[in-house]
Amino acid sequence: MLDRPLAPPPVEVIVAVTQALHREARLLDNEDLDGWLAMLGKDVSYRLELKSRRFRADRSPPFPLGPGVIFNEDLGRLKMRVDRLKSGFVWAEDPPNYIRRAVSNVEVLATRADNEVRVHSVLGMHRNRIDGTTRLLTAGRTDLWRSEGSAWLLAAREIVLDHSVLPDSNLNAFF
Amino acid sequence: MLLGEDEMNDNIADLVDSRTGRQSRSIYASEDIYRQELERIFGRCWLFLVHTSQIPKPGDYFRTFMGEDDVIVIRQKDGSIKAFLNSCTHRGNRICRADRGNARAFTCNYHGWSFSPDGALAGVPLENEAYFGELDRTKFGLIPVTKVAEYKGLVFGCWDANSPSLDDYLGDAKFFLDVWLDAMPGGSALLGETQKMVLGTNWKLPVENVCGDGYHLGWAHAGAMAAVQSMDLTGLSVGNSGVDLDGGLSVAGMNGHMVLSALDGVSGYAFYPDPKPILEYLEANRQTVIDRLGEVRGRQVWGAQVNITIFPNLQLLPGLNWFRVYHPKGPTQIEQWTWAMAENDMPEAVKAQILENQCLTFGLAGLFDNDDGDNLTACTEQSRGWRTAQMDVYTNMALGRSGKREGFPGDIASGLVSEHNQRYFYRRWQEHMMAETWAEVPTYNINSLTDEEAEHA
Repeated sequence: MLDRPLAPPPVEVIVAVTQALHREARLLDNEDLDGWLAMLGKDVSYRLELKSRRFRADRSPPFPLGPGVIFNEDLGRLKMRVDRLKSGFVWAEDPPNYIRRAVSNVEVLATRADNEVRVHSVLGMHRNRIDGTTRLLTAGRTDLWRSEGSAWLLAAREIVLDHSVLPDSNLNAFF
Repeated sequence: MLLGEDEMNDNIADLVDSRTGRQSRSIYASEDIYRQELERIFGRCWLFLVHTSQIPKPGDYFRTFMGEDDVIVIRQKDGSIKAFLNSCTHRGNRICRADRGNARAFTCNYHGWSFSPDGALAGVPLENEAYFGELDRTKFGLIPVTKVAEYKGLVFGCWDANSPSLDDYLGDAKFFLDVWLDAMPGGSALLGETQKMVLGTNWKLPVENVCGDGYHLGWAHAGAMAAVQSMDLTGLSVGNSGVDLDGGLSVAGMNGHMVLSALDGVSGYAFYPDPKPILEYLEANRQTVIDRLGEVRGRQVWGAQVNITIFPNLQLLPGLNWFRVYHPKGPTQIEQWTWAMAENDMPEAVKAQILENQCLTFGLAGLFDNDDGDNLTACTEQSRGWRTAQMDVYTNMALGRSGKREGFPGDIASGLVSEHNQRYFYRRWQEHMMAETWAEVPTYNINSLTDEEAEHA
């Protein structure tokens, strides 16, 4: 009973969660940061860990305190980042940059909780800043989404960034 | 077109005037000047390689760069540390493509030559069949970095056999380095994986920004300061609207190394959302540090915001606890590598908080760090035009207002908002660039303290 495969979620759930991912990307592209915060659960965890490139056979242990992070945010910290962006003092974002997110490879999987699903997706983020400077960042995401009332809220997100050297001068943008 | 040597030196003499605080913008974009920097600065100075905590065990290795030269630093069986060019002696291929790890040997992907951790050529496929046993393996070991030396956990390498010792090279900057490296008996460590970012800036601009530029803090980082500042930082406030010249020091004249230091013993933690656990650690250990380093460093500097720059490309900020090296990648590009730094005597929870907060403030999505990149990139781009390349830029704030300060080495200007340190940085740059050998590079530790003064300060 412990490892019996879970039935796939109902189609309506898959559609609703997929739509939530698309809506989230649109809100972020449009800099509706308060609208985005409203899509997050109160206990949200939003993480992106650092990595290093190692030989496959390498067995040396991880560093004692772990790899460190790019993001390790709860709702309060995400609000703080949003406050900074909305302060009017973040000169790198004024004039606004052209950012477009594309969400792809969405898989919605059941969990043992009726009101939660695990979601894998890929995010491509196009950033065009200052004249022709353009960067394409890609990341994989594994999320936990929770149904609360009529809405699906993001409860947890683990991001894996596909760049060993960040090819841009900032990450004033959410994945 | 490469200039002749005499022509180049005349040129360098005119590119920087550290008396009036003027630099030609060409030093941020010229290919000729950059090639000479690789030779006379990165090929000559002691460069940071690794912290001993990053390669604790025999066989542990860490890949880094000296200028544009790819280098592997390896812990030996006897505990010593050696460094080699990461390049096969046969056809030049890179022998290690991992960032770090532990290895018994490094085998080249091209033809399979393998090298042991001490650099010796250990294996050559078809050695008898194809080389007829005539290859002298002893002549084809990995190329060692000429000199490798450690100062209290910081491992440096140098290509120039005629350089001063690491100890003499660091000079009076050790007075400040010890505030991190030797404040507590357990020593220091770097934490986490390397945080790497590519920036379209000349390598000197971020060094200049951190070595002396307290001026930009309140304005460039206003958004972050408004969002996270938990304590007043020596009068620096949002929007450059205030400054306290009594609260800090700009220290230079130490062989090209520079320090900015607040003097309140706590302000390093002003950008922590919750500084309480760390303030408790400082409070609990304050007397120990005073006993070890004296009143001035123990009471005023340890825990304060301190920016230390070791010429040419190493910067460490005890307090804010980030540690950074800039690797040049051509005249207008760098890779910026950052780690969190801690004292080994700190409780695990405090270390974890430091790693966390360093990533939050000066990491790849750092609330503060993310403000600087575009400014430095634009200063570089605005040096590349036909007209802008002919123009100068200025570090002429508070000229001629420096001197000796009781209890500290160096030529010191008051306050964190000054351009005193930048002038010394460019002066050192010019001294190296004009010198054909180390013997022509002046050594100076202005207002050096005697050992007794340093201990009882």
